[in-house]
Parts: sequence; C-alpha cells; structure tokens
Amino acid sequence: MALADACNFSQSFSNFAAIPTALGPQDGLSDFQNALQSSENFTIPQNYDPVRDMKTLVDGDKDVKIEFDHGTTTLAFKFKHGVIVAVDSRATAGPYIASQTVKKVIEINPYLLGTMAGGAADCSYWERVLAKQCRIHELRNKERISVAAASKLLANIVYNYKGMGLSMGTMICGWDKRGPGLYYVDSDGTRLTNDMFSVGSGSTYAYGVLDSGYNYDMSVEDAYQLGERAIYHATHRDAYSGGTVNMYHMKETGWIKVSANNVLDLHYKYAEEKKQ
Amino acid sequence: MSIMSYNGAAIMAMRGKDCVAIAADRRFGVQAQTVSMDFQKIFEIGPTLYVGLPGLATDVQTIAQKLKFRTNLYELRENRKMKPKTFLSVVSNLLYERRFGPYFVEPVVAGLDPNTSEPFIASLDLIGCPMITEDFVVSGTCSEQMYGMCESLWEPDMSPDDLFETISQALLNAVDRDAVSGWGAIVHIIEKDKVTTKTLKARMD
Amino acid sequence: MKTLGHMINSRFGSHLFDLLSSCRKNFHILSKQPKISVNIGQMDTVEEYQHGGPKQAYFNPYAFNGGTVLAVAGEDFSVVASDTRLSEGFSIFTRDNPKTYNLTSNTVLGCTGFHGDALTLTKVLEARLKMYEHEHHKPMSTKAIAAMLSTILYYKRFFPYYVNNILGGLDEEGKGCVYSFDPVGSYERESFRAGGTASSMLQPLLDNQIGFKNQIGVDQTPLTKEKAIFLVKDVFTSAAERDIYTGDQLIINVITKDGTRTEYFPLRRD
Repeated sequence: MALADACNFSQSFSNFAAIPTALGPQDGLSDFQNALQSSENFTIPQNYDPVRDMKTLVDGDKDVKIEFDHGTTTLAFKFKHGVIVAVDSRATAGPYIASQTVKKVIEINPYLLGTMAGGAADCSYWERVLAKQCRIHELRNKERISVAAASKLLANIVYNYKGMGLSMGTMICGWDKRGPGLYYVDSDGTRLTNDMFSVGSGSTYAYGVLDSGYNYDMSVEDAYQLGERAIYHATHRDAYSGGTVNMYHMKETGWIKVSANNVLDLHYKYAEEKKQ
Repeated sequence: MSIMSYNGAAIMAMRGKDCVAIAADRRFGVQAQTVSMDFQKIFEIGPTLYVGLPGLATDVQTIAQKLKFRTNLYELRENRKMKPKTFLSVVSNLLYERRFGPYFVEPVVAGLDPNTSEPFIASLDLIGCPMITEDFVVSGTCSEQMYGMCESLWEPDMSPDDLFETISQALLNAVDRDAVSGWGAIVHIIEKDKVTTKTLKARMD
Repeated sequence: MKTLGHMINSRFGSHLFDLLSSCRKNFHILSKQPKISVNIGQMDTVEEYQHGGPKQAYFNPYAFNGGTVLAVAGEDFSVVASDTRLSEGFSIFTRDNPKTYNLTSNTVLGCTGFHGDALTLTKVLEARLKMYEHEHHKPMSTKAIAAMLSTILYYKRFFPYYVNNILGGLDEEGKGCVYSFDPVGSYERESFRAGGTASSMLQPLLDNQIGFKNQIGVDQTPLTKEKAIFLVKDVFTSAAERDIYTGDQLIINVITKDGTRTEYFPLRRD
C-alpha cells in the first residue's frame, strides 16, 4: 500500500486514461486548485484551442511573444558494441543563443537514454513522465522494461496530445533482452526503429558524415570518433547547433558517458590534423 | 525572418586616441546554413577610410562597388582624398536614392580625416539616416549583444593596442550569443600612417 | 529602420481608431452595401465593406511589462538582481517595482515578462512553499524549488505563464546556484544568467567576465562577492543606457549562509 502510494499507482493510470477529458473545459476555480495540488491536469481556459490561440504568441510580431528554445543536432546509431548517442548543446530563441550548455541527453534510467529535439520543456517533461512509467513497470513486473515498450509508451502519451502543439523529436536508446534498441519517437505520434537516426536542424549534415563512415562492425573507438565528428560538422555548418558535443555509449551493462568536448577545441584539433 | 538577418552579419567601429578600429565577423550564410567563413564585409575606401556593410549579402557587394565608383569619381574630379564626413554623405545619398525600395544594408563608416587625422566613426540606417558618435557604433544581427559589450568595455582615449583588445573582445563575445553571425572575425586598426589588419581565432559554431 | 519619435501614441491612438472604424462597420452592416464579395472555398461568403472588412476582436490575455533580472552564483554565495521599472509600450507604470521575490531564507526568484502572470505565479509558489514547510517541517531546498517551478510552469503548457524565471540561491552543500527557466518550464543549472528585456546585452559580458570566454591564457580566479556585485552594477548601468525597459533602480539580493541581504543602486531614470 505504502509503495503503491509512493508510486502513485492508481492515480497515474487513471490519469492517463483520462487525458482527453482532463483537457476539457474547466472553471477558473479548479484551475487554481490544480496549481496548488501537484495534479497532472493541464490548466486551460474555456473554449480555448491551444494551437489557434497560441499562434499569435509564438509567430506574432507583437511585443508579447514567446520564443521557445529550438534548433538541435542529435544522432544515435546501433553497431556491434551497442548504441552511440551524440548531441550538441545549443538552445536558441530566434537567432539569440539562449544557452550553450543544454543537456540534450536525458538519462531515463541506467539502461535507457532519451534525446531532446524540438521544444526543450516538452522533451524533458514527457521523458520524465516516461521515467516514472518505466519504474512502475519494473516494480510491477519485476523486470526492466524493453526499449520497444518504453518508446511505445512515450509515443502513446504524446499521441493523446496530437494537434495541441507539442513539439518533440526524440530517440529512445537502450539495451534489453533483445540487445541494443533504438527508436525514433516524435510529437506527431511517429515511432520507428532502425540502425541510425539523426534529428534536428543539423541532422542532414550529421547524416552526411555518418553515412560516409558508418559500418555495423566498426570498433568502439571508431564509433566514438564518428559520432563526435558527425555532431561537430553539423555544428560547424548549422547556425542553430553548437556548444559542446556530449556523447554516450549504451552497453550491455548500461550506459556510460563517453565525452563532453567543446566545439571550439574540436575545431582546432581537427584543423591541426588536417594540416598533417 | 527579417531580410536583414537572411545572411547574418555583425560589424562595429570604435574610436580611440588618434586611431579608430573597425571589426566584422566573416560568416556568409543562407539562414541556418553557413556557406563560407571568409566573406568580406569591410571595404577599403581610402588609405585611412573604411566602410563596413552588414545586411543582405547581394546588396553588400553592390553597395561596395557603387561606393568605390563614386569615391573614385570624386577623387579624379577633385584631385584630393575624400574626408570621412564627405564619404558619409555619399553613402547617405546613395541609400536615400532607394528610399522606397531600399538596399538592405546598414553601413558603418570608420576612418581618419586625411588632413587633420581626426578620428571619425558613424553608422547609417538602410535608407541613409546618418549618425555620428564619439564612442562606438554597431550594426548587424546581434546589435543588442554588441551594444551590451561596447557600453561596458569602451573607455575614452584608448591606445591602438588597447583599442584592438577591446573591439576584439566586444565583437567575439557578442557574436558568440548570435546564431547567424561569427565563424571568425577581422579587425582593422586605423592609425595616421598605418593600418593593422588582424584575423581573430573564434568559435566556429 | 530608425524612427525619430512617434507621431502618435500608437497604443491609445489605435484603440481610438478601432472604435471609430467599428462604428462605421456597424452602419454598413445595417445598410448592407457590399463592395466586393470574396468567396473562400466552400465557406460562407465574406463581404468586404467600403471602410475595411469585418474584424474579429480577440481578448489578449497577455501584456508585456519589461524589466531585467540577473543571477550570479559564487562559491558560497548567490546574487540575484533586478531593475525596478514596470512599463508597457512607451509609458512607465512605476519606478519602484522590484522583480525579485524572496521565496525562502536562501532562495530568491527573479521574474520578468507579464506582471500579472508574475504575481499569480509567485502567489502559487508561496502557497506551495508554505504547504511544504507545514508538511515536512523544513523549508524547501533551492533544487527542489527549481524542480517544482518547472512542473508548475509546464502544467500551463497550453496557456503559459508569460514569464522568464531565474532562480538564485544556495544548494544543499551551501554552494551558490542559479537555475534559469523558459516560460514553459525547461530548466538548467548554471553559474550566471541574465533574463528579461536586456538579457541579450548583459549575457555576452557575463560570458566574458565571469565565464572567461574568449580569454586565452588568463588565470581564472574564482568570483568573489565584491566582484560579483561590482559587475552586476556595471552591467545594469550599461543596460539602462540602451534598453528603455530597464532603469530607475537596481535591487541586489546577496544570499549567503547568514541569509539574504538587500542592497539598492540608482540607475538612469529617463
């Protein structure tokens, strides 16, 4: 009972079933109450269409304008020794660089990683929800959740919000009974699996490098080099990517953080190598 | 997206003691895509007169050519070097001729008077409204960032060396907070009998 | 394009114009004299009248009140500062409205954007902090406040609080910490951060002076409290020169293990 309470057992499941109704019209009083309780209901005024009514806020030319953090290069690929995940670390609001130190790899648990592209808040919030659901799965079934199940869980959650303006393009990477797993999930509800994905404004550049150097049987060291280079080249050509290259390696024993190298240093290191 | 930030640029000029400095980034991009990293945005007009042209790259090159043409014609007719202040009028006139279909360029002028060696810096908007200042001028996609840097770092009567350090730091740190400018920088320090040009090591992302 | 002053006060001027034109529209709707009819697909015919077409007016739930906040973390302290000007458009509402809110004895929140949302948000936060304190018999840690603020913001993902938040304080080890948020709750721990209208002017200088960016071969001495306060005053003075939404007065909250000390510093008032 205590454990069930701590995990929000009954609550969380009834809530997810009730998501569409939770978004229906509510009166102002309960909105405020929701804010006071740590409820999972989203506050929305009556007769409100998030996409239509937020349009002026996001695209408008007015003083009142919200600029969500956008722009990214993230990549992940499967190979003989696991999954490599590499990302940049830049967040931009319009042309302004809001941050160069964003953590775009979300550590869901020791065997699952998620990447962030699109709305930063959307990704971190829903992958946190996913982390909770994965833990609940573990407690219930006495075994770790598969990557396929975890990614489907996320896809189903965001699908409930389809058309409401969520923006996320994420890769769920992990290791389960079936070996290394890699899934692409986005806010449209798309869920795909493959050996290689790259997401974000700099993804085309990253794919260019990956395709030219990728081999399933490559060594661990070569894979690290390839992942880092692909992100570096994307940050070099794409204005909305940059900062540091954060890289993770998913192994049978769980993930490890491989490196976090500043693009400034990488650029001059590569330039030096080119001269020789 | 504004047409002024289609290609991305950042240019600033600063006044020192008996010297002026003008600096620019080197990126030529098409919105998010960086195409080249050695694009010329500062143009030599005379031995101690430079103009920086941030804005739409096609207009930058057109304006640079037109300005060169008009100053050459002036120097042939008058048989003397053009003063920075006169040059400012030339730029202003050129831009105002297209008042209702402007060139998308907001120039920065920096130089020393050919006779008195008096430092001179100025900037214009895209239809030729001139503004002459005593401290610094900035223009480009990250003007807010540049204003923030210049306003804090600039001080009166700097030596050429101090001026170089100040303008370099001001430009580099400003473009590092702008997605569409940067990728290297170039600085010209203009003194009475020499112009020192340096390229800076910068972030390339 | 530079403009030299405005010919009319755009805000009130345009309101008046809207009123007048809506009167005219009503008249024409009664007299039904369509000039041009535009057929949009299968939908109803939209009629355009002599003095502009019919206009749908929406209620705009947001305003923008400007202001700048700044937080800097040191080894054993944090500084959270803001200006005190509250404005809208070209007019100033008040010169004495600090945008920093003392949440606990070692956490201060800086909050700019729409003042109405800032008030509501801080009210909700205050209530939640009180509830926590009664339940757990201790004040909430800065880290926990940051996590809570993130979810409070995200629960309004589809009708956001129009605010930029920066949280400064001490962490569990007594070290200075700064958390910055976007309007819908994405957050990150940093060591210095500017937010609000002049953030793009302040941030590059902080990168340079505190983050030692673009300085090669300089010994990176840890930031002292005195230097932090000096820098804060310096950057705000600069911002007040160029940003019309920043000025009047600077309020500086210095958070140490002994609590929060508040300092004031005058800024431009024009």
